[in-house]
Amino acid sequence: MSFSPAPYFTPSRLLPRIVGLLLLAGVIVGCGNDPHPPPLKTKKEDGSPWLVRYGAMNEEARSLDPQVAYDQMSRTILEPVYDTLLEYHPMKTEPYEVVPCLLEAMPERTALPDGGVTYLCRLKKGVFFQDDPCFPGGKGRELVARDVQYAWQRMCDPKVESPVLSTFQASVAGMTEVYEAAKASGAFDYEQPLTGLEVLDSHTFRINLTKPYPQILYWMAMHFTTPVAREAVEYYDGKEHPDGPGGALLLRPEFKWHPVSTGPYRIAKHQPQSSYRLVRNPNYTATTFPTEGWPADKEALLRPLAGKKLPLIDEVQIPIIREQLPAFLMAQQGYLDRSAVGKDAFNSVVTASLDLAPQYKERGVALEKDVTVSTFYISMNTQDKVLGPNKKLRQALSASFNARAWVDIFYNGVAEVALQLISPGIYGFQKDFKNPYGYNLENARRLIAEAGYPNGIDPATDRPLELTLDAVAGDSWQRQTIEFDQRCFEQLGIRIKVVENTFARMLEKEDQGAYQLASGTGWGADYPDPENYYFLFYSKNFPPAGKNISRFKNDEFDRLFEQMATMENGPERLEIVHRMNAIFAEECPVILNFNKAFFVMVQPWAPRTHNNQMLEGGIKYAVTDPVLRDAKRREWNDTPEWPIFLALGVVFAGLGYAVRLNQKRNA
Amino acid sequence: MLSYIIRRLLYAIPIVIGVMVITFFLFFVVQSTDTMAKRVLGPKATSQAVQDWKVNRGYDKPLFFNIAKGEKLFDSLFFNQVGQLATFDLGKSDVTGRSVATLFREGAVPSLLITVPAFFVGFAVSVALALYLVFVRNSLLDLWGILVCVALMSIPVMVYVIVGQYLMAVSFKYFPAFGFQQEGLSTVRFLMLPVALMVVSGLGAEVRIYRAIFLEEIDQDYIRTARAKGLSNTRLLLTHVLKNGLINIITLVVASLPFLIMGSLVLENFFGIPGLGNLLFTAIQTADFAVVRSSVFLGALMYLGGFILTDICYALVDPRIRLS
Amino acid sequence: MTRFFETPWVQNCIVIGGFLLLALLIWSGSRNERWKRAGARLRRDRVGMIALAVIGLYLFVGALEMIQVPSSTGKRSILDLLTHKIPLEESYSAPLAKTTLVQVNPKPLNGSHLLGTDALGNDTFVQVLKACRTALIIGGLTSAIYIPLGTLLGILAGYYRRRVDDAVQYVYTTVAAIPEILLLVAILMVLGKGLGSMAIALGVTGWVGLCRLIRGETLRQAERPYVTAARALGQSDWKIITRHLLPNVMHLVFIKFVLGFSGLVLAEAILSYLGVGSPVGTPSWGAMIDGARSELSREPVVWWNIGGATFALFFLVLSLNLFGDSLRRAFDPKRG
Repeated sequence: MSFSPAPYFTPSRLLPRIVGLLLLAGVIVGCGNDPHPPPLKTKKEDGSPWLVRYGAMNEEARSLDPQVAYDQMSRTILEPVYDTLLEYHPMKTEPYEVVPCLLEAMPERTALPDGGVTYLCRLKKGVFFQDDPCFPGGKGRELVARDVQYAWQRMCDPKVESPVLSTFQASVAGMTEVYEAAKASGAFDYEQPLTGLEVLDSHTFRINLTKPYPQILYWMAMHFTTPVAREAVEYYDGKEHPDGPGGALLLRPEFKWHPVSTGPYRIAKHQPQSSYRLVRNPNYTATTFPTEGWPADKEALLRPLAGKKLPLIDEVQIPIIREQLPAFLMAQQGYLDRSAVGKDAFNSVVTASLDLAPQYKERGVALEKDVTVSTFYISMNTQDKVLGPNKKLRQALSASFNARAWVDIFYNGVAEVALQLISPGIYGFQKDFKNPYGYNLENARRLIAEAGYPNGIDPATDRPLELTLDAVAGDSWQRQTIEFDQRCFEQLGIRIKVVENTFARMLEKEDQGAYQLASGTGWGADYPDPENYYFLFYSKNFPPAGKNISRFKNDEFDRLFEQMATMENGPERLEIVHRMNAIFAEECPVILNFNKAFFVMVQPWAPRTHNNQMLEGGIKYAVTDPVLRDAKRREWNDTPEWPIFLALGVVFAGLGYAVRLNQKRNA
Repeated sequence: MLSYIIRRLLYAIPIVIGVMVITFFLFFVVQSTDTMAKRVLGPKATSQAVQDWKVNRGYDKPLFFNIAKGEKLFDSLFFNQVGQLATFDLGKSDVTGRSVATLFREGAVPSLLITVPAFFVGFAVSVALALYLVFVRNSLLDLWGILVCVALMSIPVMVYVIVGQYLMAVSFKYFPAFGFQQEGLSTVRFLMLPVALMVVSGLGAEVRIYRAIFLEEIDQDYIRTARAKGLSNTRLLLTHVLKNGLINIITLVVASLPFLIMGSLVLENFFGIPGLGNLLFTAIQTADFAVVRSSVFLGALMYLGGFILTDICYALVDPRIRLS
Repeated sequence: MTRFFETPWVQNCIVIGGFLLLALLIWSGSRNERWKRAGARLRRDRVGMIALAVIGLYLFVGALEMIQVPSSTGKRSILDLLTHKIPLEESYSAPLAKTTLVQVNPKPLNGSHLLGTDALGNDTFVQVLKACRTALIIGGLTSAIYIPLGTLLGILAGYYRRRVDDAVQYVYTTVAAIPEILLLVAILMVLGKGLGSMAIALGVTGWVGLCRLIRGETLRQAERPYVTAARALGQSDWKIITRHLLPNVMHLVFIKFVLGFSGLVLAEAILSYLGVGSPVGTPSWGAMIDGARSELSREPVVWWNIGGATFALFFLVLSLNLFGDSLRRAFDPKRG
């Protein structure tokens, strides 16, 4: 290497200055911890403030195609974007009630002599699709009955991959035929009308069922049945098209990521895996705020809103936050309008008397409890050669499981201990039902002896009976729950071998029935009807086709299920459901654990207008006070200055040391 | 040089094929196509929907060879998909149905926004600190400096990230605790903390290596000559040692340059930044094989690119090495 | 098969075998002239000796947890026996606290806990000690997989060159070209969770660096006169490799083993974060650190789990790194 003064490169001068400048610029624009982008507007056209809601979701949606999406996250976005034919009344939860949304009135039911049932439906007049380039002239056209038929046809198209098709095929006329025809020919013929949904005139249609299926009304409150515009589906094909005659090629998104709807909001911006921004659909007129049905204590808040045009808020920002903790932190800093109080944040928020902690009361935060429509349990394989034939053993395991302590440790005692399969608020839920095999250790020890394993010892081998508990253990929380389950069962003297699986492997094991005990299983209801719970244990629903992963088969239970499934609610049906509850408790195909519930921290500027758990947020009913919000945010986000001085001090001390050392060495 | 690069590129072909075989094998041993479909469609999907899903994506074909009668031998998942990749047709995501090429384009931006500043700031800070340690060499501070470097290396990345978020975002509230919005200049505020954490977590190892490189340079004859000629210690360090040391350092780090695009998995996942690291992580979790295979393909190309870059650098620095 | 490996005496044999193997390796090295000189230098290196002592302490604690004693309630380790008097609590409690850490009717504790207790009421200090075993098993087993593999392939590639070299280079470039995370997660998903599968996964991805290092060194050594002379004398390849090449690269392997060990302990933490860490019921530092993501937001903050685990992990890795550096200095005094 040659020795030269290197004139071409003097990093000593340039580099520090560039780095310094960059850092300075970074510090200046990088100030502030607001995780949201600025709102689209600050004022509405009439000068009143632009109202923004700050929500959150914890995963990216799988699809925004209403005929396809079946996960909670997709529904979070679909609900404000698409209106459904019917919808849940936001405030009536005991019992839940569906009311017309896109329909003018509830469908008119007619029973036919051949056992079939028809529903006559009329769409509201004057409902328009939002403006979109897929329509001629870019102006949204009026919603007609044909759009409903088109949507139902889409459900039958194998290319669309609707996950609920087979449910509809079981009762709606003609759906199987068109599906099979499309599979045979390779393409769905949308020109051929669907016999199950007849278009009578521009706004009237009739649903033809081959057998009674009262739950169809609930399905009409879900997005699968919501009308879509054929123009939009065909326009947004995910391919490149010329922009006007002779224009450049432009990539159009797929329909499932570009909703075109009649709903209250449209998607203004979507950063995949990161955030959604919804903005009010200016042409929306279909629904108004309910004028009755709210609890008395919300009178002051809700009375002034009654009959108001929906939605009440102009823009919704929904970042995707995968974990509970950051969401809670952001809420604490005032950047989210509400936040679930997770297990770990709980102690800082809630006091011993299940009241809000004083420092939060000072902030004006409200605490509300949400009980979701779900039941969680540990599944047992009733076809297993040890657990299957031995009902007493299953009962013993059930009685050894301390669901109360589980809820105390993992849900801070907020969730409800489940004593029956049906969750609270569902038709057929028995308030005073007592599970005969709920936690009772003495009972459990007696039962296991009766089961043939006194003190848990298997007389055949003279060693403790060993059972396998299959689980998915992704994070530390799941690890802890599994350890807890294990500890409970081992109180009986038996040994529990924990097998951890990947999610995929767990699904496979459940499908094949290749397990004994499966932790962390449960069901969130699609609609508030006991049928939606008990079909999980109907013997014709064995996996992989069905969801009966316990492989439970009981003739009496099956018979009652068949009878109950197609009945309208009434005393007779209630009687049957109660009998099923009793059979279920006695047979113990699962170890019931809890109904998920949690506390929600509600910010003072965004009081909740409802907490209907059948809705995914009910954003169109939400309200906010922007002035109060901005004031609180400023108040909650002051930053200390001493760490900056400390850091600078260290740097200068280091430099000083070097200079002194150099002087000393040169001297 | 050109012929060298061409040969290197040709050599990359068997390697990429090997990589793809291993990836296919691992992925499909992990889960059957049925469970893949179930995960994507949700646990409530019916078996009919699962079958349709598989047919629509070609996952009903056999994995490597199609030995069924009347079918082409190579009409299999592997050959169909590798054929597609070879023409850089990355296909569509199995989960979201979005074009993988678009996903990569969108993901590369946040990834690069973090890794590139982190790389350069980290590089500058490490070089500066290493030079500082060399400047105060053989003093007590030097000894402690090295000890601190080793200590910094001995802390798991997770602790940096967890404690960093807790201090800077939760206690001091300087930065957003979470999230990422790509909106002009205000994007910077989401980048500061991840970049800083990435710099700090790599600092110990880098300073230590760079210090060793500089010290090696100081022992060279030409430095002694220069010192004998009366050049001051400071000047010597800031010109000759820095320059020649930098060249060695650059040849060392150039191999990691292509990987900057892949992002940092832990940081992106922790702060919810929609970069490529996060994309791969989510793809593994949601069994999105279309994204996984494309990421692996891309990663392999980057790795080989790093190799070529290193070789070229060596050739540029040392004329004695000829690329042949 | 797995049942066989789970019986206490088989596990004990494996553990003792592992320690013996390590001792044998060092002993066989100590007859080498170069190692003797390095040993003498190392003994004068105070930092290195302190680091070695700390590592020894960890090995001792790990061994206490590794040796299984049969008992009425399944398997128990010596450490279990030593700590069986420390009672189980209901849930979190702060270090040396008197009650559990809940605001809804806190319960008095059954005993005193130096570092508090975790979510399930286990004593954190005991968990930290027990986690030594996890760290040592992962480091040890992985090393037992990747070191023979990497060394052997490296020497073969460097000695035979041509086809063998091409083949080895092809294999390691291919393995290294797959994003490491994907390889790790996929292998762990195939094999299922467990310390053994973690070791295999880390071993499969970890041998590349060592192989490359040994290949380079072998290439250099093979040019040396003593090898060419041996070849001219007609010594068999096997003899040249075992008698001449292996002893001359062994010190590199040893240094890599020590430094690699620290990397493996750190890797366990990342795997825990990715959800493919140690199985349920096996305490590990990684899992404890990962758990702190939510524990830090509690009020009052639960810092003792992440604190204890980080502290323990930090000192092991620090000692390994410092000792590795000392070794390197001892073997190569010019460059230290």
